[in-house]
Amino acid sequence: MEGKRTRVDIIEDMLSSIISKGGRIKPTHLMYKSNMSHGQMKIYLDDLVQKELVKKVKDGHYDYVIMTDKGHEFLQKLKQMREFEKAFGL
Amino acid sequence: MVQVVFSPKWFWGKDIFIDSIALLVLLSIAIFATKYYRIKKSKNYLYLALSFYLIALSFFSKILINFTIYYQVLHTQMIGSIEYTQVILKSSEILSASGLFFYRLFTLLGLFMLYSIYKKQSKANIILMIYFIIISIFFSKEEYYIFYLTCFIFLGVISNRYYQNYKKNRENTSGMLAASFSVITLSQIFFMFVNFTKHFYVVAEIIQLLGYILLLVTFIMVLKHGRQKDKSRHH
Repeated sequence: MEGKRTRVDIIEDMLSSIISKGGRIKPTHLMYKSNMSHGQMKIYLDDLVQKELVKKVKDGHYDYVIMTDKGHEFLQKLKQMREFEKAFGL
Repeated sequence: MVQVVFSPKWFWGKDIFIDSIALLVLLSIAIFATKYYRIKKSKNYLYLALSFYLIALSFFSKILINFTIYYQVLHTQMIGSIEYTQVILKSSEILSASGLFFYRLFTLLGLFMLYSIYKKQSKANIILMIYFIIISIFFSKEEYYIFYLTCFIFLGVISNRYYQNYKKNRENTSGMLAASFSVITLSQIFFMFVNFTKHFYVVAEIIQLLGYILLLVTFIMVLKHGRQKDKSRHH
């Protein structure tokens, strides 16, 4: 069984969820896809917005979360880190 | 007198170049491990970075020793004064002996730290191991091969750990890592026998270079693989 997700795991899941939806996702979908509670999601999303990894935009009646270039770069770094972990068995 | 120079004269400088490559490979991995530690705050990353920094530092000491000796011997030979040569060699001997001590200490501490990532050590074990490392360095002053034997054992155990990891996850990068460490382990056997013929030193250095090139290729594969996975998510 997988252990408890770390903060980095949750951020990676969130960013990967946005990517899987083409770089743009509704906050509720992001919450379900990243397996988070509403409160947890709000804290993490605010953090990601503050770090400029994602942006919140309004399109018509709906709110969307969009991945920024910085977010893409950070996700790439996380993927490399996972490969590094696998290779070294960390 | 402490034996410091193992290289045949025609190989002087070439070994410095080979060791510089190893130093760069080790530093690159250490720097990336430090970056990842800053993101994840995992102690394993910190220890991995520290162990690679220590081994890199040991190579730096070795390069410095060899550079000092080769340069001074060649320089004094050009000047041709026997008295001057003796004075210079005496002072460089002190520098080389202390440099050699740090080279051995940093190498063994780095390898022990790398090993400890996979086999958690109690405080008592750490103290014992540091004691044995210092003892082994002390005896290596007279019998240089003891140092390479200790390296061989550490590297063998670490290579085996990486091979077990490869058997578990069947990832190419894990297999390459196990292979690179095995090649570096193999080089220690030739280092052990350099007193028979100095040509073994050349063979050992070349095998070690191959090991570090493999390690570099593994590292590049890790970075590229991560990038490819990210790209695949875009489509």
